[in-house]
Amino acid sequence: MSKLWKYVGIGLLIVLIAIQLVPNELPSVKSENPADIHESPWMEEEISIVIKKACYDCHSNQTNYPWYSHVAPFSWLVAKDIREGREELNFSEWENYDPLDQLAILDDIYGEVEEEEMPLPIYTWVHWDAKLEDSERKALMEWAERTMDKIAETIE
Amino acid sequence: MKKLALFSAFGFALILFLQAMPKNDSPLQPEISDEAAQIPENVMAVVQQKCYGCHNAESKNEKGKEKLDWDELNAAKKSKALATMKKITEVLEGDEMPPEKFLERKPEGKLTDEEKATLLAWSSGKKK
Repeated sequence: MSKLWKYVGIGLLIVLIAIQLVPNELPSVKSENPADIHESPWMEEEISIVIKKACYDCHSNQTNYPWYSHVAPFSWLVAKDIREGREELNFSEWENYDPLDQLAILDDIYGEVEEEEMPLPIYTWVHWDAKLEDSERKALMEWAERTMDKIAETIE
Repeated sequence: MKKLALFSAFGFALILFLQAMPKNDSPLQPEISDEAAQIPENVMAVVQQKCYGCHNAESKNEKGKEKLDWDELNAAKKSKALATMKKITEVLEGDEMPPEKFLERKPEGKLTDEEKATLLAWSSGKKK
Protein backbone atom coordinates (compact mmCIF):
# COMPACT_ATOMS: atom_id res chain seq x y z
CA MET A 1 0.00 0.00 0.00
CA SER A 2 2.65 2.48 1.00
CA LYS A 3 4.58 1.54 -2.10
CA LEU A 4 1.56 2.44 -4.25
CA TRP A 5 1.37 5.90 -2.66
CA LYS A 6 5.03 6.42 -3.30
CA TYR A 7 4.51 5.71 -7.01
CA VAL A 8 1.48 7.98 -7.13
CA GLY A 9 3.52 10.73 -5.46
CA ILE A 10 6.42 10.34 -7.84
CA GLY A 11 4.01 10.24 -10.78
CA LEU A 12 2.33 13.46 -9.69
CA LEU A 13 5.67 15.15 -9.20
CA ILE A 14 6.75 14.17 -12.70
CA VAL A 15 3.49 15.49 -14.16
CA LEU A 16 3.89 18.74 -12.19
CA ILE A 17 7.41 19.20 -13.53
CA ALA A 18 6.40 18.22 -17.03
CA ILE A 19 3.57 20.77 -17.26
CA GLN A 20 6.05 23.53 -16.42
CA LEU A 21 7.43 22.94 -19.90
CA VAL A 22 4.12 23.72 -21.60
CA PRO A 23 4.58 27.10 -23.23
CA ASN A 24 2.45 29.75 -21.55
CA GLU A 25 2.95 33.46 -21.89
CA LEU A 26 1.71 35.84 -19.23
CA PRO A 27 0.40 39.11 -20.68
CA SER A 28 3.15 41.70 -20.60
CA VAL A 29 3.45 44.51 -18.09
CA LYS A 30 3.94 48.10 -19.26
CA SER A 31 4.88 50.88 -16.90
CA GLU A 32 4.27 53.72 -19.37
CA ASN A 33 0.58 54.04 -20.22
CA PRO A 34 -0.20 57.44 -21.70
CA ALA A 35 -3.83 56.49 -22.38
CA ASP A 36 -4.50 55.33 -18.82
CA ILE A 37 -7.71 56.49 -17.17
CA HIS A 38 -5.52 58.29 -14.63
CA GLU A 39 -4.59 60.66 -17.46
CA SER A 40 -8.27 61.49 -18.04
CA PRO A 41 -10.24 64.13 -16.14
CA TRP A 42 -12.45 61.43 -14.63
CA MET A 43 -10.19 59.81 -12.09
CA GLU A 44 -10.63 60.69 -8.44
CA GLU A 45 -8.26 60.02 -5.57
CA GLU A 46 -10.51 57.74 -3.54
CA ILE A 47 -11.57 55.80 -6.65
CA SER A 48 -8.00 55.46 -7.84
CA ILE A 49 -7.06 53.62 -4.66
CA VAL A 50 -9.99 51.20 -4.95
CA ILE A 51 -9.51 50.52 -8.66
CA LYS A 52 -5.77 49.96 -8.34
CA LYS A 53 -6.11 47.42 -5.58
CA ALA A 54 -9.21 45.59 -6.85
CA CYS A 55 -9.15 45.83 -10.65
CA TYR A 56 -5.72 46.73 -11.98
CA ASP A 57 -4.19 43.26 -11.88
CA CYS A 58 -6.49 42.12 -14.70
CA HIS A 59 -7.89 45.34 -16.14
CA SER A 60 -4.72 47.29 -16.83
CA ASN A 61 -1.24 46.85 -18.28
CA GLN A 62 0.16 47.14 -14.77
CA THR A 63 -0.37 43.61 -13.53
CA ASN A 64 1.34 42.59 -10.33
CA TYR A 65 2.40 38.98 -10.86
CA PRO A 66 2.79 36.97 -7.65
CA TRP A 67 5.34 34.12 -7.65
CA TYR A 68 2.78 31.34 -8.18
CA SER A 69 1.53 33.02 -11.34
CA HIS A 70 4.69 31.64 -12.95
CA VAL A 71 3.90 28.09 -11.88
CA ALA A 72 1.68 25.81 -13.96
CA PRO A 73 -1.20 25.07 -13.70
CA PHE A 74 -1.94 28.40 -11.91
CA SER A 75 -0.09 30.30 -14.60
CA TRP A 76 -2.56 29.03 -17.22
CA LEU A 77 -5.54 30.37 -15.31
CA VAL A 78 -3.79 33.65 -14.50
CA ALA A 79 -2.81 34.18 -18.14
CA LYS A 80 -6.32 33.44 -19.39
CA ASP A 81 -8.07 35.66 -16.85
CA ILE A 82 -5.76 38.58 -17.48
CA ARG A 83 -5.96 38.22 -21.26
CA GLU A 84 -9.75 38.19 -21.12
CA GLY A 85 -9.88 40.89 -18.48
CA ARG A 86 -7.82 43.33 -20.54
CA GLU A 87 -9.84 42.50 -23.61
CA GLU A 88 -13.09 43.45 -21.88
CA LEU A 89 -11.72 46.52 -20.17
CA ASN A 90 -8.21 47.87 -20.01
CA PHE A 91 -7.97 50.98 -17.84
CA SER A 92 -4.52 51.57 -19.35
CA GLU A 93 -6.13 52.02 -22.79
CA TRP A 94 -9.00 54.17 -21.55
CA GLU A 95 -8.34 57.25 -23.67
CA ASN A 96 -8.24 55.08 -26.81
CA TYR A 97 -11.87 54.04 -26.34
CA ASP A 98 -14.48 56.23 -27.98
CA PRO A 99 -16.87 58.02 -25.61
CA LEU A 100 -19.78 55.67 -26.33
CA ASP A 101 -17.58 52.69 -25.49
CA GLN A 102 -16.57 54.43 -22.29
CA LEU A 103 -20.23 54.90 -21.39
CA ALA A 104 -21.03 51.26 -22.06
CA ILE A 105 -18.02 50.16 -20.00
CA LEU A 106 -18.92 52.39 -17.06
CA ASP A 107 -22.47 51.07 -17.17
CA ASP A 108 -21.05 47.53 -17.05
CA ILE A 109 -18.78 48.48 -14.17
CA TYR A 110 -21.81 49.72 -12.27
CA GLY A 111 -23.67 46.44 -12.85
CA GLU A 112 -20.76 44.08 -12.24
CA VAL A 113 -19.79 45.82 -9.01
CA GLU A 114 -23.40 46.06 -7.85
CA GLU A 115 -24.06 42.36 -8.50
CA GLU A 116 -20.71 41.48 -6.91
CA GLU A 117 -19.65 39.70 -10.09
CA MET A 118 -16.38 41.61 -9.87
CA PRO A 119 -13.71 41.27 -8.66
CA LEU A 120 -13.87 37.54 -9.44
CA PRO A 121 -14.30 35.38 -6.32
CA ILE A 122 -11.35 33.20 -7.31
CA TYR A 123 -9.22 36.34 -7.39
CA THR A 124 -10.30 37.76 -4.03
CA TRP A 125 -9.94 34.29 -2.57
CA VAL A 126 -6.20 34.71 -2.95
CA HIS A 127 -6.01 38.51 -2.86
CA TRP A 128 -7.84 39.35 0.35
CA ASP A 129 -6.96 43.00 0.09
CA ALA A 130 -8.84 43.21 -3.25
CA LYS A 131 -12.13 42.34 -1.63
CA LEU A 132 -14.46 45.32 -1.84
CA GLU A 133 -16.20 46.68 1.24
CA ASP A 134 -19.82 47.70 0.76
CA SER A 135 -18.77 51.33 1.08
CA GLU A 136 -16.18 50.84 -1.67
CA ARG A 137 -18.74 49.20 -3.95
CA LYS A 138 -21.08 52.09 -3.39
CA ALA A 139 -18.33 54.61 -4.08
CA LEU A 140 -17.38 52.85 -7.33
CA MET A 141 -20.98 52.69 -8.50
CA GLU A 142 -21.60 56.34 -7.74
CA TRP A 143 -18.38 57.31 -9.49
CA ALA A 144 -19.37 55.27 -12.56
CA GLU A 145 -22.74 56.97 -12.74
CA ARG A 146 -21.30 60.44 -12.13
CA THR A 147 -18.66 59.91 -14.80
CA MET A 148 -21.24 58.62 -17.28
CA ASP A 149 -23.21 61.83 -16.83
CA LYS A 150 -20.10 63.92 -17.43
CA ILE A 151 -19.11 61.97 -20.54
CA ALA A 152 -22.68 62.07 -21.89
CA GLU A 153 -22.59 65.86 -21.64
CA THR A 154 -19.70 65.90 -24.10
CA ILE A 155 -21.64 63.90 -26.69
CA GLU A 156 -23.77 65.57 -29.41
CA MET B 1 -61.33 99.91 -39.44
CA LYS B 2 -62.18 97.07 -41.76
CA LYS B 3 -58.49 96.37 -42.15
CA LEU B 4 -58.06 96.16 -38.38
CA ALA B 5 -60.93 93.69 -38.07
CA LEU B 6 -59.49 91.57 -40.84
CA PHE B 7 -56.04 91.71 -39.24
CA SER B 8 -57.26 90.63 -35.82
CA ALA B 9 -59.39 87.90 -37.35
CA PHE B 10 -56.31 86.61 -39.10
CA GLY B 11 -54.30 86.79 -35.92
CA PHE B 12 -57.02 84.96 -34.04
CA ALA B 13 -57.09 82.25 -36.67
CA LEU B 14 -53.34 81.93 -36.45
CA ILE B 15 -53.47 81.49 -32.68
CA LEU B 16 -56.16 78.85 -33.06
CA PHE B 17 -54.05 77.09 -35.64
CA LEU B 18 -50.93 77.05 -33.48
CA GLN B 19 -52.95 75.87 -30.50
CA ALA B 20 -54.30 73.01 -32.51
CA MET B 21 -50.90 71.87 -33.81
CA PRO B 22 -49.63 69.89 -30.80
CA LYS B 23 -53.07 68.42 -30.25
CA ASN B 24 -52.99 67.02 -33.75
CA ASP B 25 -49.68 65.36 -32.93
CA SER B 26 -50.55 63.77 -29.64
CA PRO B 27 -52.82 60.93 -30.79
CA LEU B 28 -49.90 59.65 -32.90
CA GLN B 29 -47.96 58.69 -29.77
CA PRO B 30 -49.97 56.05 -27.99
CA GLU B 31 -49.06 55.12 -24.42
CA ILE B 32 -45.61 56.66 -24.49
CA SER B 33 -45.52 59.50 -22.01
CA ASP B 34 -44.06 62.87 -23.01
CA GLU B 35 -40.75 62.66 -21.16
CA ALA B 36 -40.18 59.15 -22.41
CA ALA B 37 -40.65 59.75 -26.11
CA GLN B 38 -37.00 58.93 -26.80
CA ILE B 39 -37.39 55.93 -29.03
CA PRO B 40 -38.87 56.59 -32.47
CA GLU B 41 -42.05 54.82 -33.43
CA ASN B 42 -40.62 52.74 -36.26
CA VAL B 43 -38.06 51.36 -33.83
CA MET B 44 -40.66 50.69 -31.16
CA ALA B 45 -42.72 48.78 -33.73
CA VAL B 46 -39.85 46.32 -34.29
CA VAL B 47 -39.04 46.17 -30.59
CA GLN B 48 -42.64 45.42 -29.69
CA GLN B 49 -42.68 42.51 -32.11
CA LYS B 50 -39.23 41.00 -31.72
CA CYS B 51 -37.65 42.07 -28.42
CA TYR B 52 -40.21 43.20 -25.91
CA GLY B 53 -41.51 39.72 -25.11
CA CYS B 54 -38.42 39.01 -22.99
CA HIS B 55 -37.06 42.51 -22.43
CA ASN B 56 -39.73 44.18 -20.32
CA ALA B 57 -40.20 44.99 -16.67
CA GLU B 58 -42.66 42.14 -16.11
CA SER B 59 -40.68 39.56 -18.08
CA LYS B 60 -40.50 36.02 -16.74
CA ASN B 61 -37.19 35.68 -18.54
CA GLU B 62 -34.97 36.86 -15.67
CA LYS B 63 -31.82 37.15 -17.73
CA GLY B 64 -33.54 39.06 -20.49
CA LYS B 65 -35.12 41.42 -18.02
CA GLU B 66 -31.88 42.02 -16.21
CA LYS B 67 -29.87 42.69 -19.36
CA LEU B 68 -32.31 45.08 -20.96
CA ASP B 69 -35.71 46.48 -20.14
CA TRP B 70 -37.17 48.64 -22.90
CA ASP B 71 -39.50 50.43 -20.50
CA GLU B 72 -36.54 51.43 -18.38
CA LEU B 73 -34.54 52.49 -21.43
CA ASN B 74 -37.40 54.62 -22.64
CA ALA B 75 -37.38 56.54 -19.37
CA ALA B 76 -33.60 56.52 -18.87
CA LYS B 77 -31.46 59.62 -18.64
CA LYS B 78 -29.10 60.47 -21.46
CA SER B 79 -25.95 58.80 -20.11
CA LYS B 80 -27.71 55.52 -19.36
CA ALA B 81 -29.61 55.58 -22.65
CA LEU B 82 -26.44 56.16 -24.71
CA ALA B 83 -24.61 53.37 -22.89
CA THR B 84 -27.48 50.97 -23.45
CA MET B 85 -27.81 51.91 -27.12
CA LYS B 86 -24.10 51.26 -27.59
CA LYS B 87 -24.52 47.77 -26.13
CA ILE B 88 -27.59 47.13 -28.27
CA THR B 89 -25.52 48.10 -31.32
CA GLU B 90 -22.84 45.58 -30.41
CA VAL B 91 -25.35 42.80 -29.84
CA LEU B 92 -27.09 43.52 -33.15
CA GLU B 93 -23.83 43.71 -35.09
CA GLY B 94 -22.82 40.35 -33.65
CA ASP B 95 -26.23 38.86 -34.50
CA GLU B 96 -26.49 37.78 -30.87
CA MET B 97 -30.19 38.56 -30.47
CA PRO B 98 -32.72 37.05 -30.50
CA PRO B 99 -30.77 34.09 -29.07
CA GLU B 100 -30.22 31.05 -31.27
CA LYS B 101 -31.91 28.72 -28.79
CA PHE B 102 -35.00 30.89 -28.87
CA LEU B 103 -35.01 30.92 -32.67
CA GLU B 104 -34.87 27.12 -32.79
CA ARG B 105 -38.28 27.09 -31.17
CA LYS B 106 -39.56 30.23 -32.82
CA PRO B 107 -37.83 30.79 -36.17
CA GLU B 108 -40.27 33.56 -37.11
CA GLY B 109 -38.79 35.60 -34.25
CA LYS B 110 -35.64 36.28 -36.26
CA LEU B 111 -34.96 39.89 -37.18
CA THR B 112 -35.27 40.58 -40.89
CA ASP B 113 -32.44 42.53 -42.51
CA GLU B 114 -34.73 45.52 -42.73
CA GLU B 115 -35.70 45.34 -39.06
CA LYS B 116 -32.09 44.97 -38.03
CA ALA B 117 -31.19 48.00 -40.14
CA THR B 118 -33.98 50.03 -38.52
CA LEU B 119 -32.78 49.17 -35.03
CA LEU B 120 -29.13 49.77 -35.90
CA ALA B 121 -29.80 53.12 -37.54
CA TRP B 122 -31.37 54.26 -34.30
CA SER B 123 -29.03 52.61 -31.78
CA SER B 124 -25.86 53.71 -33.52
CA GLY B 125 -27.20 57.20 -34.19
CA LYS B 126 -26.49 56.83 -37.92
CA LYS B 127 -30.01 57.73 -38.87
CA LYS B 128 -30.72 59.34 -42.25
